[in-house]
Amino acid sequence: MLTAAREVQIPLLAVMLLGACAAKVWRALRPHADTARTDPTGLFPAHLQRPIMVLMFVAELGLGLGLIGTAGKFGDIARGVPATIVRTGTALFFLIAVGALNEMRQRRPDSGCGCFGELSGTPIGLRTIARPGLLCASAVAALGLPPLRMPSSSTEAELWLAVLAFELALIAFLSPELGEIMVRLGYSEPCELRRLPVGRTMTALHASSQWRKYAGQISAAEPSDVWREGCWRFVVYPGSARGRPVDIVFAVYLQSRRPVIRAAVLDADTDEVLGPAGTRESVVI
Amino acid sequence: MRHLADIPRWCDDVTDSPSPTRFARRSLLKAAVLGPRDESDFSPIATGKDDAGAAERSLVYTVTGRILDVSPHILVLLTERGEQRFPLAASAEAWRGGLVSPAALRQGDHAIIRRRLPGGPVIDRIWAEIGRVTGTIIERDGPASLLVDEGPAKGRRIVLIGPEATGRIQVRFPRLEPGYLIDVIGLKHDGYLQALIPATSQPPYRAGHPPAAPMVSGHIPDPVSGTAVWHEPGEEPESLLGLAYPALDPETSCEHAASAPPACSGDLHAVEEHAVDPHATGSGCVRLPYLSVGSLIRLRNDCAERTRVVPVTSCGATARLFCDRCVTCGTSRKGRIADLTMAAFVELGGALEVGCFNATMMIGG
Repeated sequence: MLTAAREVQIPLLAVMLLGACAAKVWRALRPHADTARTDPTGLFPAHLQRPIMVLMFVAELGLGLGLIGTAGKFGDIARGVPATIVRTGTALFFLIAVGALNEMRQRRPDSGCGCFGELSGTPIGLRTIARPGLLCASAVAALGLPPLRMPSSSTEAELWLAVLAFELALIAFLSPELGEIMVRLGYSEPCELRRLPVGRTMTALHASSQWRKYAGQISAAEPSDVWREGCWRFVVYPGSARGRPVDIVFAVYLQSRRPVIRAAVLDADTDEVLGPAGTRESVVI
Repeated sequence: MRHLADIPRWCDDVTDSPSPTRFARRSLLKAAVLGPRDESDFSPIATGKDDAGAAERSLVYTVTGRILDVSPHILVLLTERGEQRFPLAASAEAWRGGLVSPAALRQGDHAIIRRRLPGGPVIDRIWAEIGRVTGTIIERDGPASLLVDEGPAKGRRIVLIGPEATGRIQVRFPRLEPGYLIDVIGLKHDGYLQALIPATSQPPYRAGHPPAAPMVSGHIPDPVSGTAVWHEPGEEPESLLGLAYPALDPETSCEHAASAPPACSGDLHAVEEHAVDPHATGSGCVRLPYLSVGSLIRLRNDCAERTRVVPVTSCGATARLFCDRCVTCGTSRKGRIADLTMAAFVELGGALEVGCFNATMMIGG
């Protein structure tokens, strides 16, 4: 049973390291991500923060892949020494993390640990520090293990799963990120905060019945003005109606599918409303 | 990813726009297609092009200009309308680096004055040569000289802190170091601001790392309460009634206009390292609905209980970096929601040397 518990640690540690690595990449790749850096790199001078961030990323990626690569054996070649090096490195990595988070908690108590990118914005608490401590102990427990193999019996497989479930539950308890993930899964950004490219607005407009109704009056290929207020984007085209220069205004509600579209026609010189004006119903902007 | 070449001609580049009337017309077009918000609100479509709409959006309390002459009873000001004479009330106060008597003001000073009554001749308050620098410290030269980046739209300013103000400012801004935020009010001089008053308390985080605002479920509440601050006119007209809005639509507004760093001598790399583009720091401390230049906002000074409809006239993304609160009359419920022009701030009853007032904003005028 003890061996089964130790064997579970290797895939668990690898998943944790690669998950943390992926979360950091996700934050770095998002063009307008919340770049508020809430991790221990904040303890260092500004010019060192990026190199240290890269170093952490490389260490997590290297150790995660190293744990997987040295877990089994290839043919008859066991990977005893490399496996010991990687597992010792993993234990050291988490031990350093415990120290850094403790220091961070004292010096910048409002900052998160940044362990899983922007998901880790909750201020560092004892639970957050205990997590790398647990993972450090896991890495120590994995030292000296023989190469991993598939469970030989269903009882052994059940034991594996039971240990894995217990440890995942423990990690979940120590992870403030879980609450953040649950909130994000159920979160839909209000339309007034949602970024929506102009191109999508134009596509929706050009496919609408309102567009077909007024297309004959429009005299230019490009709109003369486009702007946004809250949940509405407005598109103005120059045109002519009954020999008078007019402005044809479309209001497109900013939602992905079948947006509401309204239109009005104004005399370009007098601003008199010629076409269907908006109703006086309450409109969420 | 959008490239500069992809940005069409209708983008809100206010300074380059050949037809700023395009922005002014937007509220009218919006009202035409959606209808006025309700009967009580200001509605350009209801007033058309008559004088009522213009009056609503013109200054009635505030006058800006250059002092031609001042005596204990009369102030002569060169304004946009030419030379104007204003009688001074006995209780009139003046600010020039501190409270002074109006007679202590100097010829040639740039002044912004507040009338006692709307459109009335009598002056209640004068501010002379007042300035403000809000942004990120990107270079420090000695204990008292700072180079501050006010964001891509406004550029960089030099701030000097005199020995008489050092203690006062350092109490509120303990980290006068590159990478940290600063917001100070003082006297304008040629090429620099002499900082005299801290306009807020320094946020503890570095400028590029403001905390994220909490997520919003449902729609953003309207009205929104928070803090209104002011900024110097820069390239805007001095008497402009308007505001810089922190959340302009990134698809059609100033977000693309992040300027290239200016070429300057010295250790350019070290300076640029600390410059922060506020557009790249996320939504900032207050989640506000995306608007555009020309959008109308009904803004209320909760301290003076004065309300005006103010159009969005520029990008105020730097306000996103400050998660501070205004404590002019109680603690504001949120951080910075509007960065007013000086004229608009005074028009709404704000005191420039205080730096902020608690405000409530209703979008759509």
